[in-house]
Amino acid sequence: MEVINDLIYNYPYFASIILFSVGCFIILAESNLIKKIIGINIMETSVFLFFIALGNIKGHSPPVISPYLTEEAAAQQLYINPLPSALVLTGIVVSLSITAFALVIVAKIYKYYGTIDSHEIFEIRSRKKW
Amino acid sequence: MMIEFMFYNPPVIVLVILIFALLMPLLGRYLGHLAGYIAALVAGFSFIVSLIFAFMISEGEKVKYVVLDYYSSIGIEVVLDSLTIYMMAVMSGISLAILLYSVPSIKKEVREKAIGWYYTLYLLLLSAMFGIIMTNDLFNLYVFVEVVGISACALVIIKNDRASTEATLKYLLLTAIGSGFLLFGIGLTYAITGHLNLDHVHYSLAIFSYDFPFLMWTIITFYFIGFGIKAALMPFHVWLPDAHSKAPTASSAALSGLVVKAYIIGLIKVYNVLMQAPLFDFAHIKIAILILASIAMIGGSFFAYVQHDLKRRLAYSSVAQIGYIFLGISLGTVSALTASFLHILHHGVVKACLFMTAGSIYYQTEETDVRNLSGLGFKMPITFTAFTIASLSMIGLPLFSGFITKWYLAVGSIEADNYIFVILIVISGLLNALYFFPIVWQGFFDPPAKDAPDSGWKIDKIPLPMLISTVVLAIFSIFIGLFPKYPLAIITDAVNNLDGFLFY
Repeated sequence: MEVINDLIYNYPYFASIILFSVGCFIILAESNLIKKIIGINIMETSVFLFFIALGNIKGHSPPVISPYLTEEAAAQQLYINPLPSALVLTGIVVSLSITAFALVIVAKIYKYYGTIDSHEIFEIRSRKKW
Repeated sequence: MMIEFMFYNPPVIVLVILIFALLMPLLGRYLGHLAGYIAALVAGFSFIVSLIFAFMISEGEKVKYVVLDYYSSIGIEVVLDSLTIYMMAVMSGISLAILLYSVPSIKKEVREKAIGWYYTLYLLLLSAMFGIIMTNDLFNLYVFVEVVGISACALVIIKNDRASTEATLKYLLLTAIGSGFLLFGIGLTYAITGHLNLDHVHYSLAIFSYDFPFLMWTIITFYFIGFGIKAALMPFHVWLPDAHSKAPTASSAALSGLVVKAYIIGLIKVYNVLMQAPLFDFAHIKIAILILASIAMIGGSFFAYVQHDLKRRLAYSSVAQIGYIFLGISLGTVSALTASFLHILHHGVVKACLFMTAGSIYYQTEETDVRNLSGLGFKMPITFTAFTIASLSMIGLPLFSGFITKWYLAVGSIEADNYIFVILIVISGLLNALYFFPIVWQGFFDPPAKDAPDSGWKIDKIPLPMLISTVVLAIFSIFIGLFPKYPLAIITDAVNNLDGFLFY
């Protein structure tokens, strides 16, 4: 019961771990190359969700000092952690570049084989003498 | 004066290489393939700088630099110590030889327009590897790992044919899985400690790791899987033979000799902190690495024996050698760690030399099958002599660098009371002999094929830069074998700074 309560209370972590496993499974199990790339994106996005959930605290304000508050009130205000958001921004850039690169490679493979299904590519390779 | 400035501001070196990387397409446009000589000059400059650093640094010293003068828990910290300087020298020195080699060889393998871009990618790779080595910040490490991953993939696909495209796809997918695990590990570390700087992580883990035993287990495993996939330890090595054999020759040499080692250094940096945390032995990761490394040493050699394509054989040989490095890390005694670091240098030099000779053989004779090399020792004596020296060094005969590393590894396993690994090292060396000796034997002692016009001694018909770099690397392997004290001087200091690994 204790464990279930913890899971429900920390549902973003739970969701991110499930998404991570799903993404990893998609990369390894799907034969369609585009779906594999989608799997990569799911995996990386789940990690971003984890980071955002780390930085967020329920009921606290974003880390921007409001002009309507006095200095004492602003100092007593509780803010969420901004660092994970900055990390996620960097991570999104990396993930995007990997996705773009992988899509270009898949386009080239389609040019060589006329298909993007890895099983069919394997068959073509075994039949043809290159 | 300038050197001193660089010594206290280490990111400047990375910046210099990056600036030249961005200039390379322009130079390639106006100078053609001669741009490679300028790239080689940049690598040579960083090599000389790291050699000077090696004399400047005193024992146990750590030069710390925080980017933009933030305080270190928020800013990005860069550290210069013996390990860093040693790895910088290895990377840039071998890169210098590879870049010199690539100038003529790349003309045959890469289309005219892409030559400038090839050097851009190479220098990006070099600067990002410097970043992995120097950084003391987990997320910065991740970013540099990604830069290395993408530029390494691009270095494979630049050959622009069917085989290299497929190999790159495999490489990229597995690299992406590895990055996901690595980033998740970094996230979990941040969740426990609230820090990304490795020193601060170290202090926080000492306090907080008792509260999260299973999370510690997860972190250690995630780092291991992430870096293990990227460094191609045996069960995760699936991408390596394809990617390393289908790439252009210069890229193969760089990927096998340098890139994999950069990831291993990343793993060492992270584990050096994690191993000092209490509850580390709860995960039994050392035993896992020992088993996997043993499988790699034997299995990689067996796989290499059944390959008939020369570059594929060399690539599988790399898998076995990576097993050696991981074995030294997991044994964790002083001699074993020394052996690991020495093996990084030895394998870089020798494997780069072997890949270069394979490329030279293909350049002159268009031959890739190891069964058709008979009589080649007369056609290309200098190249084949270099190949022979490198092979003997791989096997680990005395007078060559391989003997020194295997000796230290055997001493290390005796120190750790694991005598079985001495037997494993000997068996692995014999398997190495099994797949290298036939090539050497064919080249020098088999009669050439019957339809060959004449069988006298000839001189190699390959361009001079290719010849020079292979010969220099072969000579350097003998130099390490005869005078191991020069690299050992700095390695000993580097090992003594790794507090996390040493039992006693």
